[in-house]
Amino acid sequence: MSDIKIKSKNLNVYYGDKQALFDVNLDLNEKEVTALIGPSGCGKSTFIRCINRMNDVIDICKVEGNIEIDGVEINDKELDVVSLRERVGMVFQKPNPFPKSIYDNISYGPKIHGKGETKSELDEIVENSLKKAALWEEVKDRLNEPGTGLSGGQQQRLCIARAISVNPEVILMDEPCSALDPIATAKIEELIDELKKTYTIVIVTHSMAQAVRVSQKTGFFHLGKLIEVGKTEKIFKNPDNKMTQDYITGRFG
Amino acid sequence: MNFILIFLITIFSLSLFFYGRSKTKSISVQNNIKLNALPKFYGYYLVLWCSIPALVFLLVWSVFEPIIIKSIIIETAANQGAIFSDKNEANLIYEKIKAIHLGTYFGDIDSILKDSAISYAKFINLFTNSKIVLIFTIIIVSVIYSLKKIKNNNKARDDVEFILKGLLFASSLIAILTTLGIIFSLLFESIKFFSVINIFDYLFGTNWSPQRAFVSDASSITAAEYEELKDAFGFIPLIAGTSFIAFIAMLVAVPIGLFSGIYMAEYASVKVRRFSKPIIEILAGIPTVVYGFFAALTVGPFFRQLGENFGLTVSSESALAAGLIMGIMIIPYISSLSDDVINSVPQSLRDGSYAIGATKSETIKKVVIPAALPGIIGSVLLAVSRAIGETMIVVMAAGLAANLTINPLESTTTITTQIVMILVGDQEFDSPKTQSAFALGLTLFIATLILNFIAQRAVKKYREKYD
Amino acid sequence: MTKEDRLKKRHSAEKRFKFYGLASIFFALLFVLILVNNIFSKGSSAFMKTAIKAEVFFDPELLEIKNGASKDQILDADFYDITIESLLRVYPSKNLDEENGLIDLFTTDAEIEIKKAFLEDNTLVGKKIILEITASDDIDQLHKGNYPRDLPEDRRRISNIQLKIYDNLVENKKIIKNFNNYFFNNGDSRDPELAGIGGALVGSFYSILICLLLAFPVAVLASIYLEEFAPKNKITDFIEININNLAAVPSIVYGLLALQILLASLQMPRSTPLVAGITLALMTLPRIIIPCRASLKAVPPSIREGALAVGASKFQSVFHHVVPLALPGTLSGTIIGLAQALGETAPLILIGMVAFVVDIPSTPIDPSSSLPVQVYLWSESAERGFVEKTSATIMMLLSFLIVMNFVAVYLRQKFEKRWN
Repeated sequence: MSDIKIKSKNLNVYYGDKQALFDVNLDLNEKEVTALIGPSGCGKSTFIRCINRMNDVIDICKVEGNIEIDGVEINDKELDVVSLRERVGMVFQKPNPFPKSIYDNISYGPKIHGKGETKSELDEIVENSLKKAALWEEVKDRLNEPGTGLSGGQQQRLCIARAISVNPEVILMDEPCSALDPIATAKIEELIDELKKTYTIVIVTHSMAQAVRVSQKTGFFHLGKLIEVGKTEKIFKNPDNKMTQDYITGRFG
Repeated sequence: MNFILIFLITIFSLSLFFYGRSKTKSISVQNNIKLNALPKFYGYYLVLWCSIPALVFLLVWSVFEPIIIKSIIIETAANQGAIFSDKNEANLIYEKIKAIHLGTYFGDIDSILKDSAISYAKFINLFTNSKIVLIFTIIIVSVIYSLKKIKNNNKARDDVEFILKGLLFASSLIAILTTLGIIFSLLFESIKFFSVINIFDYLFGTNWSPQRAFVSDASSITAAEYEELKDAFGFIPLIAGTSFIAFIAMLVAVPIGLFSGIYMAEYASVKVRRFSKPIIEILAGIPTVVYGFFAALTVGPFFRQLGENFGLTVSSESALAAGLIMGIMIIPYISSLSDDVINSVPQSLRDGSYAIGATKSETIKKVVIPAALPGIIGSVLLAVSRAIGETMIVVMAAGLAANLTINPLESTTTITTQIVMILVGDQEFDSPKTQSAFALGLTLFIATLILNFIAQRAVKKYREKYD
Repeated sequence: MTKEDRLKKRHSAEKRFKFYGLASIFFALLFVLILVNNIFSKGSSAFMKTAIKAEVFFDPELLEIKNGASKDQILDADFYDITIESLLRVYPSKNLDEENGLIDLFTTDAEIEIKKAFLEDNTLVGKKIILEITASDDIDQLHKGNYPRDLPEDRRRISNIQLKIYDNLVENKKIIKNFNNYFFNNGDSRDPELAGIGGALVGSFYSILICLLLAFPVAVLASIYLEEFAPKNKITDFIEININNLAAVPSIVYGLLALQILLASLQMPRSTPLVAGITLALMTLPRIIIPCRASLKAVPPSIREGALAVGASKFQSVFHHVVPLALPGTLSGTIIGLAQALGETAPLILIGMVAFVVDIPSTPIDPSSSLPVQVYLWSESAERGFVEKTSATIMMLLSFLIVMNFVAVYLRQKFEKRWN
């Protein structure tokens, strides 16, 4: 039984006048993959963006409620967001490598946080991150080439390596495979399986099959409310809630 | 006379419109013919054919008639024994002849002038009469032609639209004509200049003092005179002065412009933006003569006084004062363009940087600006081009001394200042001095053209990346 | 460096960065305020002129003409003696130096002002009236407080004697300030107290009018062609490249163009609003084309398609439907282009508008000046009085520009909401 890493309590989120999340209470376990499923626009992305306070970037977004990581409240005005994001990394739906070299993409994070002072330290970090993201073999001879020159699947793994480079504890993934082909998707799912040994992973996904494949725990969102959460097997084999059942069986969404 | 002609053409065209429209209507009803267009288009067709050829002819004639008459009269006067040694004297005599004709000349009239005035009156009459006859001929021919076309039931709407499209096309050709005009004007005099002064003496000469380039006969210059001349038209001090002041201007404009552009794009709330954008735009709207006045009257003396307090000699026309004010004028060029360029960097790049835990300034410095760099460089180049082409600020606040200095406390001159100084006041059109102004203009034109070209390419390349 | 130190350093770098941005904007604001304050404080006094009350006696023994004289007779008559006599009566001079000093306190046009009074009422022979005669430029500046009194006499333009007389006149309340109608009615003058922007105002008006009449139709027609009808070929590309370049050509090059083609080749009259207007039109053409094209581009294709669907020709759909919708943006772009043209100086200098023009032009082919050129000309003069006049001219110029820009922005905001 893993420990609880992230805990949300009475979380409500508003975009201007519209409310996007209603009273969400969700616990996420350490070193485990939790999948968040549900139809489009039901608040899954909004939820994970709360965990690394990325919603701060959006002017009209207002967050009320509690989120604790390792027992520490992060919705606190006094909290240093910059340090939070060092511990909680994110991979986006569409791969967004910087228009820099592959090396610079990875070394960016460590440099800012002072994690690598000398060139050899940075070299090591870059190599480790790329290895952990299963990209090293493919790019080790062309680290100076632009990151944007890679294929879609490679770019996404580059972004995962970038997230890993600062040694986070949590990795948030917002539909990481929706822009990729099946083979690239499979590679990334393999990667996630490996990564969960080191990091707590929360993944938003449209594909129920993917949720089944990669996650141990699943939460089902609908219209901004967390309808049901539990072990992945249970959610997909015999969910408690009828709405969950309907979604699983394809009645809607 | 011309107004009367235009008025007559207008009246005639209008009446043709009504005639054409009603005639076509009645003919089609009478003979049961299906018209190829609405009756009013036949009217329009007649109007266009009646007015356009005549008006174009009138315009061209009016532009060239004075010149032709002038050269005829001057020639006639010369044949009758009038003596003038150069163009200026010829012009003077011509003005006298015109004044005699108008009855406003009160000096002595000798026989040559009297005869010339009589010829002048004769020619004016001749030309005016020919003009009227020709215009009427043109109108009659055009109207006959267009009436014939109508009789054959032409597709009037299509024809009218074709003619109008031609007018539209001609309007857009004016842009090309203007460019050709600029190139022609600059080249014409520059070629004359470079036939006297060797282009290398110009491009690489280090002394600019056209004031002492006095030439007794501009059409033939002796070798000894040339030896004197060739050191007077060196371009280097001018490009040095221009670049120096532009450099000072950029030192002011780039940081302030870039930072305000960044602030407005990344940090400013909607309220602050609505307030600060117009303020920056105001800087762009102030006429440069106002900047020049402020620089000459207030800023220059201020720096001189400040320098005195510190024991430094600062000219009241220091490059520092001129450059500072020019820089302020240029701020909006960099600020607005940078604002636009930074705004079009996709949000996904910023999100990727924030997600790693970078602060906003780190994201801007290390991700956004590098991504926006070609666009920003483009805006800087456009600003530089604006700086070197600027005239009034430097004419009023910078000096006339063509020296090669890198001391911002001294005064120095620029290309544009020299162009103005040479062309203001009495000029003989055929001297190397006047022609040198055009050579300077040509150099300036080419330089700004190149800068603008590179700048636009840079911005275009950037836009292609992100739009 | 510890983690906390590093974090602190990063956050203070963030604060500094943000500060630089805000400071830059404030710097721009500060400059505008300083400039406006500087100009307005120097220029506001120009709207008043100092005058000295003098009793003018139209002594029939000193005048050749009688009551009821015609305008021409009056203009030809010599009022010099009457003038001198009236001026001297203002102050009891004890010697010749004082007399000369007194006369110089008045404008050189004193005789003309007295004549004007007679022109208004030609039955004044034998009568006395009190006239407020304009003071000389030096007294004008002294009275406005712009002239330092404490310079040693040989470096001053006003002698000690004159200062004595001045103080006496002030005590006796014979010196007053009037509204300076000369500033608006007169043309240029060598005497600052008489100089006005009347000529420059008319010159600018005619120039901008001609610029508008030439540039607007051609620019709009060209934009319509390029945006709606031009085929995508090399010629069209070439035209567009030309337009973009012309927008960035330094204005002085247009002056050279005008000098060579309009003045030298076509022999048009120098220094006239006609030539200025043509030159400004060439410069303003690209500045109208660019916003006009943007407005045309912004009209949604659905409007065009709707018109075509009911059987309108391309021409009709463009002119009846698209162009009217693009009009607000085009007009506001035009007004802004005209505002820029109003402030142009360099090309007008080159076509000769720096000549000293005293008369107010009555047609666009009379020689004239323009507001910005007048500013340039006066700024070259040494007299203090011109500083005040130049600043006031700038105030007028800026006021026109502010109004024009407001109208342009208002047009854009009010009318462009229609189809968004």
